[in-house]
Amino acid sequence: MQWTLNYEETWVHRLNPAFKLVFFLLLFLLLLFIHNPNIITNITVVPLLLLLFSTGHQKKVLLILMLPFLLLFFSSASSMMFFGQGSTTWWKWGLIHITEESFYRGLHIGFRALNFALLGLLFALTTRPVYLFYSLIQQLKVPPRFAYSFMAAVRILPVMLEEFQQLRAALLIRGVKKKKGYRRITQTITLYAVPLLSQSIRRAHRIAVAMEAKRFNNNKRTYYYKPTFSKFDLLFLLYTTIGFGVAFWVGDTFPYFDSTDVRQK
Amino acid sequence: MKVGVSNLRLKFAGAPSLQFEDLSLHVKESEKILFLGPSGCGKSTLLQVLAGLIPNAVPVPMKADDMVICESTGVVFQDPDAQFCMPYVDEEIAFVLENRAVPQHEMNDLIQYYLDKVGLSFQDPHVEISTLSQGMKQRLAISSMIALEPEVIFLDEPTALLDPEGTSEIWSTIKQIEAKQTMIIVEHKIDEVVDFVDRIVLFNSEGKIIADSDPNTVFSFYKHKIREFGIWYPEVWDEHIKETDLPKDIVRGKEVLSVTNLKGYRGKHPKIQAPEISVCEGEWVAITGKNGAGKSSLLLSLMNVMKTSGEIKVSNQLIKTVHDARSQLAFVFQNPEFQFITHSVYKELAYSLEMINDPNVDEKVNGWLTSYQLEHVKLLHPYQLSTGQKRRLSVGTALFGSQPVLLLDEPTFGQDAQNTFKLLQLFEELRAKGLIIIMVTHDEKIVNNYATRQWIIEKGLLVADRNLERVGEGKAYAMDS
Amino acid sequence: MKLKLSDILITIVIALVFGIIYKLWGPVYSLFKPFGLHIGDVIYGMWFIAGTVAMLLLRKPGVALLAETAAASGEFLVGSEYGLSVLLYGIIQGLGTELMFALFGYKRYTAFVAALGGIAAAVGSLIMDAAYGYVMDLALWNLLLLIGARLIGGFLIAGLLAYFLVEALEKTGVTSLIRPASDEDYKALDR
Repeated sequence: MQWTLNYEETWVHRLNPAFKLVFFLLLFLLLLFIHNPNIITNITVVPLLLLLFSTGHQKKVLLILMLPFLLLFFSSASSMMFFGQGSTTWWKWGLIHITEESFYRGLHIGFRALNFALLGLLFALTTRPVYLFYSLIQQLKVPPRFAYSFMAAVRILPVMLEEFQQLRAALLIRGVKKKKGYRRITQTITLYAVPLLSQSIRRAHRIAVAMEAKRFNNNKRTYYYKPTFSKFDLLFLLYTTIGFGVAFWVGDTFPYFDSTDVRQK
Repeated sequence: MKVGVSNLRLKFAGAPSLQFEDLSLHVKESEKILFLGPSGCGKSTLLQVLAGLIPNAVPVPMKADDMVICESTGVVFQDPDAQFCMPYVDEEIAFVLENRAVPQHEMNDLIQYYLDKVGLSFQDPHVEISTLSQGMKQRLAISSMIALEPEVIFLDEPTALLDPEGTSEIWSTIKQIEAKQTMIIVEHKIDEVVDFVDRIVLFNSEGKIIADSDPNTVFSFYKHKIREFGIWYPEVWDEHIKETDLPKDIVRGKEVLSVTNLKGYRGKHPKIQAPEISVCEGEWVAITGKNGAGKSSLLLSLMNVMKTSGEIKVSNQLIKTVHDARSQLAFVFQNPEFQFITHSVYKELAYSLEMINDPNVDEKVNGWLTSYQLEHVKLLHPYQLSTGQKRRLSVGTALFGSQPVLLLDEPTFGQDAQNTFKLLQLFEELRAKGLIIIMVTHDEKIVNNYATRQWIIEKGLLVADRNLERVGEGKAYAMDS
Repeated sequence: MKLKLSDILITIVIALVFGIIYKLWGPVYSLFKPFGLHIGDVIYGMWFIAGTVAMLLLRKPGVALLAETAAASGEFLVGSEYGLSVLLYGIIQGLGTELMFALFGYKRYTAFVAALGGIAAAVGSLIMDAAYGYVMDLALWNLLLLIGARLIGGFLIAGLLAYFLVEALEKTGVTSLIRPASDEDYKALDR
């Protein structure tokens, strides 16, 4: 979240945001077509290095943000490892049936999830939403009405956070008792979601009227920020291409897992 | 005629009757006109019609025989937190320039130019809007409005949510705008506006125009109406004090609240420190100080909502937790809506009683409904009340038990004159019964006329604690001029 | 029935609030899914809720799709551990919900249609799962458990809970800002 963290701007921040988004989308699709666990394990290094050394954020912050990824790795991998289909049984206990195929497939899924997570965090930590939306309008022709609404909506979030704290204090003071079971859920909705959402809806409505009062409409407009392409985009392209290339080559030449294709045959 | 409407008929969805029935109003070039009226009379609605926002941006059913709307208008709204769509100052002005299709290379100079016009000077205007004071935010709103180069300016209660300092800031900024500018203003606090406008249009609560003339004429013939409508006009405080028989000599009873070495923390750092406090029955303490000085934090620390150290005692009982605090200290938040937890006014008042298994819930609640003047709305959802009613209800929900201390965070903020006086009288009645009133306020008139004691907070520290004499009639006037 | 600026802004604000919840929901879901038994998939329904809530509130075509896409974008922008996949999931889940309200001609905004919308979003997410690969490689009983839990989650959270939330919001009177005026209101002008 760019509005709460302190960071130094690095070259990854200067990439064209729309290019970054499209490029990340392509990487994402490419990852879906990789079925060799050796390769995907190697690939993990590519976003990891960028994340650790080129985001300009403190290492401590990065580690905290990456902590849930371990949980994610395990939870994504586990169901396939324990319950996936396969012929070479390693271990069987009740419903749990670990086969060689399902184990590697689980591992593969875990690493793939890890890659998505790292790429996602890399994007989030190096992209200011305002630049992204300006770039989306100008490079990808996203209608300004949606893009500016998004930017305006992002502004409301910190206000809501403040209101959330006030609300919590107010409820504490009123001595609201927590209910049990499913009524706890409905209670949370009436006590927290309703006041916060209704306040935000009213605020959003007022902001929209104010925007129209500032003559925001579908007419021709100019732009304060004009994101362009730079040598950094090229650098990024080179880094990932070479990184992926090396990962593929190493994965093919020096495999460390027995399996090279995790798909069910 | 610059803008105007003939025989306007307008109805809000689901409302039982028309808001405007054949209303006509015409505004001449370079006229400065003020709409006055009670809350809910539709003056802001009319402003939005004339500004061309209704029905285009806000679809409200309406029709008119004839309408003249100016193509080029600029509007400033009341809520400083709900008129910007960009996070930074420069980007917000740039947004307007983009809408006008100004070429990019001209933008930086123009941003500086429009900020200068409202006296906002930054070395680099790439400043986060959320770090500005409310008054500065409103000046930014004026700046981005001027950046539209409008022919007609509309101001929809631009100072309603500002403290007195911010209010003066805004009006001196507006008065610097070119003299020939046509302006339509809706405002409730008119001390600084009356001399500035050429014409006042007075509405009654049914949305009918009952007066339309120059300020002097309107004031000499309709003063009683203006007062009834709760408008803050220059002499309203003096008149109120003259009519209210406030006891001058306060009888201080036994000590109730005592505090030693109180510190309230946000994270690791103390946000507020108060070394020694002792308050007796029947005192009215006003807490004053700049925004962000720590006034609200002091109240929250007393309630133990913030992490605190030190000792708080009420009626010789130690206050260690929120639970302890709740039974001794009644607390009213700045935003009353956050204190509401049920679907109706009645249930709201009954809630705390039912929690302590009070046998006479119905009787007590009905009594409160009467004393807070809420009996006619007792079945409504609390959110649907007017601002004055919401505030009274929040006081009611806080004072459920027989707590000896009432803590209030800017209870009169954004209220009209009628509601403010009603509230102050309610507090005074409670005080006369021996309750301690401790309130955060920016309003000097409350400090001078009602408070018996003042705490000044500066940079997280209670720096002054002094007894006050109630000024009373005559003297209050002298202070004013 | 074109979306006005305020409709878009309100939808996106609601969506972003849920986007933050979506992000926080990631670790919760990971915890709820021990050893892959998929019972935890019941809470997966939280990830469809923006679409139904926004649609029930604003009642205009396109709102569910916009809300779910915007919520996913918000989730992505705050660094979701699912990365860009959430965007694609968001779009297809939003489409699912949208389709159900469209089937009823955008005229019915009942708990029933909301529940269908939640279930349709769940179907959307399962389609994505299949396209994503490997899910078909689960043992059959395990796959069925996954599908069942997912659909129930969509029904309960994105359907019924969303409906309950919107009903509670309506009581506060905030919907009067959003809903269009009735013909009767317009007729009253001529009386």
